[in-house]
Amino acid sequence: MTATLPLRHRAEQLAATLPPLLVAAERVAATVAQGVHGRRRVGQGETFWQFRHYDMGDQPQSIDWRQSAKSDMVFVRQMEWEAAQSVWIWRDTSASMAWTSDRNHQTKRDRTDLLTLALSVLLMRGGEHVALLGSGLRPSNSRATLSRIAVLLENANQPAEELPPTLPLPRSAQLVLIGDFLAPLPEIDRALRYYGESGVRGTLLQVLDPAEESLPYDGRVRFEGLEQEAPWLVSRVEAVRGDYAKRLRDQREGLQDIARALGWGCAFHRSDQPPQSALLRLYTTLSQVLA
Amino acid sequence: MINLGLLAFAHPWLLLALIGLPVLWLLLRLTPPAPRRLAFPAIRLLTGLRVPEETPARTPWWLLLLRLLIAALIILGLAQPLLNPAAQLSGSGPMILVVDDGWSAARFWQARQIIGGKLLAQAEREGRTAIVLTTARDAQGEPPATSGLLPAAEAQRLLQGIRPKPWPNDRAAALAALEELTFEGSAHVVWLSDGLRDDESEAFAAALQRLGSLHVLREEGSALPHLALPPDSEGVDLVARALRADSGAGGRAEALALAADGRIIAKAPLIFAPGEKEARSLLDLPTEMRNRIARIAIEGETTAGAVVLLDERWRRRPVGLVNPGSQQEGQPLLSEGYYLQRALEPFTELRRGSVEELLQRQLAVLVIADAVAISPTEEEAIGAWVERGGLLLRFAGPRMVAQPPEEADDLLPVRLRGGDRVLGGALTWDTPAQLAPFANDSPFAELGLPDDVLIRRQVLAEPSLDLADKTWARLADGTPLVTADRRGEGWLVLFHTTANTDWSNLPISGLFVDMLRRVMAVSQGVSGSTGGEALPPIEVMDGLGSLGTPPATVLALDPDSTAPLRVSPRHPPGYYGNDSLRQAHNMSTTVTALEPLGALPGGVTSGLYHESPEQDLKPWLLAAALVLAMADLLISLLMRGLLPVPGRAAGKAAATTASSAAAIVVGLGLAGLAFSSGAMAQAQGTAVDDRRALEATLMTRLAFVETGIGDVDEISRAGLTGLTRVLERRTSVEAGPPLGIVLGRDELSFYPLVYWPITAAQPDLDAAAVEQVNHYLANGGTILFDLREASSGMQLFGAASQGTQNLQRLTRGLSIPPLEPVPADHVLRKSFYLMEDFPGRFSGGSLWLEAQSENINDGVASVLIGSNDWAGAWAVNRLGRPLMAVVPGGPRQRELAYRFGVNLVMYALTGNYKADQVHIPFILERLGQ
Repeated sequence: MTATLPLRHRAEQLAATLPPLLVAAERVAATVAQGVHGRRRVGQGETFWQFRHYDMGDQPQSIDWRQSAKSDMVFVRQMEWEAAQSVWIWRDTSASMAWTSDRNHQTKRDRTDLLTLALSVLLMRGGEHVALLGSGLRPSNSRATLSRIAVLLENANQPAEELPPTLPLPRSAQLVLIGDFLAPLPEIDRALRYYGESGVRGTLLQVLDPAEESLPYDGRVRFEGLEQEAPWLVSRVEAVRGDYAKRLRDQREGLQDIARALGWGCAFHRSDQPPQSALLRLYTTLSQVLA
Repeated sequence: MINLGLLAFAHPWLLLALIGLPVLWLLLRLTPPAPRRLAFPAIRLLTGLRVPEETPARTPWWLLLLRLLIAALIILGLAQPLLNPAAQLSGSGPMILVVDDGWSAARFWQARQIIGGKLLAQAEREGRTAIVLTTARDAQGEPPATSGLLPAAEAQRLLQGIRPKPWPNDRAAALAALEELTFEGSAHVVWLSDGLRDDESEAFAAALQRLGSLHVLREEGSALPHLALPPDSEGVDLVARALRADSGAGGRAEALALAADGRIIAKAPLIFAPGEKEARSLLDLPTEMRNRIARIAIEGETTAGAVVLLDERWRRRPVGLVNPGSQQEGQPLLSEGYYLQRALEPFTELRRGSVEELLQRQLAVLVIADAVAISPTEEEAIGAWVERGGLLLRFAGPRMVAQPPEEADDLLPVRLRGGDRVLGGALTWDTPAQLAPFANDSPFAELGLPDDVLIRRQVLAEPSLDLADKTWARLADGTPLVTADRRGEGWLVLFHTTANTDWSNLPISGLFVDMLRRVMAVSQGVSGSTGGEALPPIEVMDGLGSLGTPPATVLALDPDSTAPLRVSPRHPPGYYGNDSLRQAHNMSTTVTALEPLGALPGGVTSGLYHESPEQDLKPWLLAAALVLAMADLLISLLMRGLLPVPGRAAGKAAATTASSAAAIVVGLGLAGLAFSSGAMAQAQGTAVDDRRALEATLMTRLAFVETGIGDVDEISRAGLTGLTRVLERRTSVEAGPPLGIVLGRDELSFYPLVYWPITAAQPDLDAAAVEQVNHYLANGGTILFDLREASSGMQLFGAASQGTQNLQRLTRGLSIPPLEPVPADHVLRKSFYLMEDFPGRFSGGSLWLEAQSENINDGVASVLIGSNDWAGAWAVNRLGRPLMAVVPGGPRQRELAYRFGVNLVMYALTGNYKADQVHIPFILERLGQ
């Protein structure tokens, strides 16, 4: 993927390699909006569903003249009812995301933005309505919305959120959360429980730098946080590598436990892996959760 | 300042600071290195993690050592060490400067003057007087004399005026001059020598040492002057030669062959083998170029000895040998032309041709053997040419004898009597005659006579008054063997016998070559002697080896004087003579060997010219310290992670630096291994080639072109295997298993027949492969191209089938001769079986072959092109069962395919032999059977 293209182009390129993602719909009665999910019922849509005898009250425009000409009856063409779902995407905007251990691969922020937009493109192509959580935009599947999401993502001064804000969402909404989720587990639990209890289904994707997984440093290092954490001096990093790995494992297991308790999906991604794999993983977890 | 001989320190007290180094070591050791600072998002997971046992972090020892080294270098540098500190002049008396100014000193003369000037300047600073003594005679030939006591400044001016002389040193005369030298106190003697030894050099050094402490400056090894020797003639070429003084290690100089106008004609390396003093190098040049060489100089040396002048003696004369017309020579190795050619080639430029052709170019000598008939017009042309100064050399023989005397042409030095004289024949009493010793006025004078040269037949000259004057050589009974006469400017020379061994065995003796050589010398106008005239100087060399007008002091050379010619102030090297004769006078007539200045008497110090006396090491040490400090900075930055290391994790950088040296060593080792294994692979490659060549040649084998497509090659191999079986069963051809060949890689010439299946997938041939195939086709190879497709048409290249397109593509660049369909009576149709057409796996396609190839390659066409997929029809498996069905089918078609194969192999192996066999019934009939 060429890094020089604007973010949106790159995201579209990425999304083009996967088939349109159709999120399995669930409890759609409340959100009544047209989409491409055939409802196996008569309704508004574009796909032919059935012919029916003309009744009083039917609009004359709906008469299928070709069919009617075959017999003495007058037939009305009816379409299948199609409905779309709204997907809300949130990604971590905290300072710790704008970091990479190696200039040869993207920062976590860049990767997150790319995944967000690629997912939006995919979902929109599948007919879903997409919005950024907390952006104030309404879910929509128009190209214009995609452009606005792209602008929002690339906006430099946006509030740093380490965890998703608590906002009212429709009960049938899908929530996709992308971030590094390094915050203490109780805080994550609290933030996610709000949505879980309000009936929103969701998916977590933890994006980490390879250095955060392997801690590839040696010798005497003073580690400094990116979010005003107190610095920590380790005299021999290689000696604490095992402990660090254990803590990271604990963090991930805790994250998975939280997701499982809410019935959500949970996936992990490393920023030196190709983004397609993460997109595919999001796709599968999204489908599994919603199946 | 303290002085340690080779090394001195200007500020020695600064060295005390070196004591502080161990303290610095301790200080550096106690301070742990600063930690790297690293931003890390997942710090929450790290906080609270502690290293189990905290060992104090230390600066690595090699970094400590580096820093100590930097400190030591700075201290040493500030102490300002001086290498080779200049010594003060010794003694109390004057400074004596002895300068060799013979030819051998001209090399690096400027450097000598500068060093002498510096020494005199030092003498001036110390208030000494100076005496200058040169060792070569001056231009008037006066022996060298000392300058007397001079102020040093005056001596400096004197020194600047000295020029190297183009003659050798005369140290004996200089020694005599030293004897008369008187002064007060002991002197400081410096001898600016040329580095060469002669008989007086030890005595001279000893005499100098008696005057005071002696310091000798000299050259060594290849810096010593070389002496160019006159070139040798070797065969047809000149061999440049040079001498050197030091015969130790191997050396090298470049010989330049220069024209008279100074242009470089040739350059040849003179390689001195270790232990050898002389080097030779062949100047491989066309004769015209060779004759333009005026001198040979050693490149980069401006001495009179490094230039050798050439004169007429080194020129080669163009000699024309007339071919005996259209009349074919039956036995070329016994013909006169062959003997003459072998005798003349080593020292002349020999051209052969008709008289007319030869006279078109400049010619010194024209040689006409007896077998050559001269037409009247040719006779006229030759006569005119001789009048202008040519030399005509003729040989008698049967043809000349058969000619009646009155019809003899005019180009003979004497009148001949009719008939010849046979000595020692079956009907004669006398025995074959020997040669009489040559007369002193003959050009052959002083040639040694071998005992075994016998003349069996000769032609006789009509006696006349001047016959004796015209005779250059005679037999023991006084009859002339070689006569010569002047004709205008030129000469007519006749050997009264043949130039081959029919009449005498003279042409196979060395004397013959020597006699011809003398005859050639006559043609140049330079006969045995110069005529006794004194040779005035034309151009002479100066001390730097360049030619110029001779000064008045140069005298003429007297060639008649009994003493050998020597180079002296009266006779410097150069050209002497007059307009008609130019003789080169070279340094090598006087100097014949060079020897380096050997061991000097005890107590004498010596040094080389190019050694600079004093060198300040301070800047070098400080620069080294600076470089090391930069390295230290980089290492520190690396260890703190402040420097990006491409391709590696930053944290590994410090360890990397330490291990990189080891990595380089390992890398070099691996490269060495790779190299040696490459060499082994190469050796293996040749072994494989040899094995394959043996495989291909120990048995006759059919071959096919490996197209690189597996199943096609498989079928080709199986097909040729099947054909080989059939051949073995039915004919006397017992071929080995077929071989696949890769074009451009394998040698083709071993195979009489190559089968080439044309496929779409075979890549285009590269240039080497095209050349190889062309060479194979041109030299008798046969290739059967098989398009392997069913075709019925008679067209070949016009048709646009896939196979033809591939054929066109693959044969691009090959020299495919004109083709025709196989004629009805072609040998291919009857070379074993009688055949009408040539089916393969398909039938119907026509076979094309090279048209009109009856006389070339024994009538075997080099190219056959067909499309019937014969290999498919021949192909059998291990059990001998056919692999592929034939189309349209039937055992008959397969049998015919095999018959075609047999015919084709027979045709390729026997050529038109079978065509001859066709006539046998008629021959038998004629024989009456």
